[in-house]
Amino acid sequence: MVKEISEKIKESIGSVEPVETPYDQRGYHLSIEATQANIVDITGFFDRIGFYLADMCCVDYIDYLEIVYFFNNHSKVCRIRVTLKVDPERPSAPTISHIYKIARWYEREIHEFFGVLFEGHPFMTYLFLHDQIDFYPLRKKQVPVPEKDKRLLNSFNPEEQEDGFFLNLGPQHPSTHGVLRVVVKMNGEYILSAEPILGYLHRMHEKMAENRTYQQFYPNPARMDYLGALNFNLGYVTTVEKLCGIEVPERAQYIRTITAELNRISSHLLWFGAFVADLGGLTPFLYTFDDRENILDILEAVAGSRLTYSYFRFGGLFNDVDDDFVKNVKKFIDRLRSRFSMYERLVTGNVIFINRVKNIGVMDKTYPLKYGCSGPVIRSIDIPFDIRKHEPYAAYDRVDFEVATGTNADNMDRYLIRIKEMGISLNIIEKALNDLPSGPIKAEKIPKKLKPPKGDIYHTIESPRGELGVYIVSDESDVPYRMRWRVPSYSNLMTFPELAGGSLIADAIATLGSYDLVIPEIDR
Amino acid sequence: MGKGGLHLETKEPIIKLAIAEKFINLARANSIWPMTFGLACCAIEMMAAAMARFDIARFGAEVFRPSPRQADLMIVNGTVTKKMAPTVVTLYEQMPSPKWVIVMGNCAISGGPFGFKGQYNIIEGIDKLIPVDVYVPGCPPRPEGLLEGLMKLEEKITGTRRFPVPEQRW
Repeated sequence: MVKEISEKIKESIGSVEPVETPYDQRGYHLSIEATQANIVDITGFFDRIGFYLADMCCVDYIDYLEIVYFFNNHSKVCRIRVTLKVDPERPSAPTISHIYKIARWYEREIHEFFGVLFEGHPFMTYLFLHDQIDFYPLRKKQVPVPEKDKRLLNSFNPEEQEDGFFLNLGPQHPSTHGVLRVVVKMNGEYILSAEPILGYLHRMHEKMAENRTYQQFYPNPARMDYLGALNFNLGYVTTVEKLCGIEVPERAQYIRTITAELNRISSHLLWFGAFVADLGGLTPFLYTFDDRENILDILEAVAGSRLTYSYFRFGGLFNDVDDDFVKNVKKFIDRLRSRFSMYERLVTGNVIFINRVKNIGVMDKTYPLKYGCSGPVIRSIDIPFDIRKHEPYAAYDRVDFEVATGTNADNMDRYLIRIKEMGISLNIIEKALNDLPSGPIKAEKIPKKLKPPKGDIYHTIESPRGELGVYIVSDESDVPYRMRWRVPSYSNLMTFPELAGGSLIADAIATLGSYDLVIPEIDR
Repeated sequence: MGKGGLHLETKEPIIKLAIAEKFINLARANSIWPMTFGLACCAIEMMAAAMARFDIARFGAEVFRPSPRQADLMIVNGTVTKKMAPTVVTLYEQMPSPKWVIVMGNCAISGGPFGFKGQYNIIEGIDKLIPVDVYVPGCPPRPEGLLEGLMKLEEKITGTRRFPVPEQRW
């Protein structure tokens, strides 16, 4: 497939030279250097052949800025990196937001952190930062914001610009699951348009990464997505291991799989309670928290904390699991399986619940490509895209499991998929526990100061919310040169304005709940 | 309990009804209504404190109100960014008096792990903006920690502690 695309793109756009890269070391198959003139054509080419924009970020190499685009597809393992060099003095690039809608947010993000102006972008204002910041935070040298760009800094305030009835959902609103603000324009009870405003919990993780050694950055991923902390931890650790070529012992891989799946269940359980609470039923919340506490007990015994675990280390684990762990996990599997039928009676068959979620928030088939959404959101559109199957990591290729999908693409499907996923995770844990090998849990000779070889890497894992991508650029020092996090909720949330437009405000709350948003992960 | 940072001056009332006041304070301390207000990771532990295992209802503080106008306790649980700070202050101002603030987690106390050199986006300590009664450290604190903070707050309101701390006898 890689050769095929390489030839096709040469044929379609004459002046490009795709270079094949080693996938095992770099995480992508093909690298293409684009110019200001042909980047829009290249993007259009990938749109035509059914690729989606997986990530878009910028790296400051002082002499030049490099915008990096990652294209990926849902059927075959083939990731392509496209780079575009930009002059640091007057940085500007053509927009691709008319081809991929998700680029609207990526380009705004690059603009506020690096100062790259995207020509032709319809709405170039700040997305994350507050309006008093007068420099570009992720540039290596302090660059002040030019006077003429200062008007762009002002955050988005539609109520001052337009007539109409506006409603602020958030930043303090129980159903936004954190500090997300959505400004909705209303006509009676119906929503005319919705615009999410991010950045109320921007905690500068990407800036922090450039100030910390690789080991010092361990606690941060857990605080990005505190519900799927182990999965984010796993994403970070596996990326650095791939970059350094560290082999992880078999036992550690299995324990990683087991604990990450336990974490996925605890995340889904919390979502389950919160989703039904959004719709007005608080009782399931109490039940799911009861189950969740059992997982927290098991993980606390091995990882040492209740919520923000940083259990995985480069080359292995923080400590080994004992027989008690195995016994407790087996007990928990039986317990949760027996609870599913109760949840079914309590919620799934409830006629009020069905009326609130069935055929509401129906997604279009074009969304996966236009927005790059992932996780249960994309699986509800009948695309069995799961990184655990697609590009297996840890021990997922050694345990057999199915991928839950739905066909209606509505809130009910997203609900059912997550319920099914909990059952599937239980199966994975059970199989992995049965095959759990003995042996060491940590690779030998991991240096105290890890200095990965020069180069970049893009690696993805499946977090409870979808595709998590980590992009690291190393310059052979013990501090990452640039670390970029592609987070799943970000692209999932971007579909919300389309789904909310024309729906009732109460239904929009149900749709927002069905995404399973974690705001610190979006804001980073 | 909070001593540093910002503090509201409480004026002595003109008429003082010592017994009635004591009784009212006892009622206040045993029916604190917190605000449903989540910022980051600590909010999950706050939710856990309200659920079956830790059961904040044992101390009469289970009525989480989504509106600040019905609440008398604000639990600041998470990083306060510069973009969010005006909202936090507004929420505090919207609460009717008497009102109290528990700060939960290192981020809200001092910036926590995000207070690194060169940071540009967070408030290093919410006590720079609003008066704080009780600090609960941790990253995140366990639900028991929040419950202990609640009891400290009760102690501040009534002057006596709900459960006496056992004297050391060894």
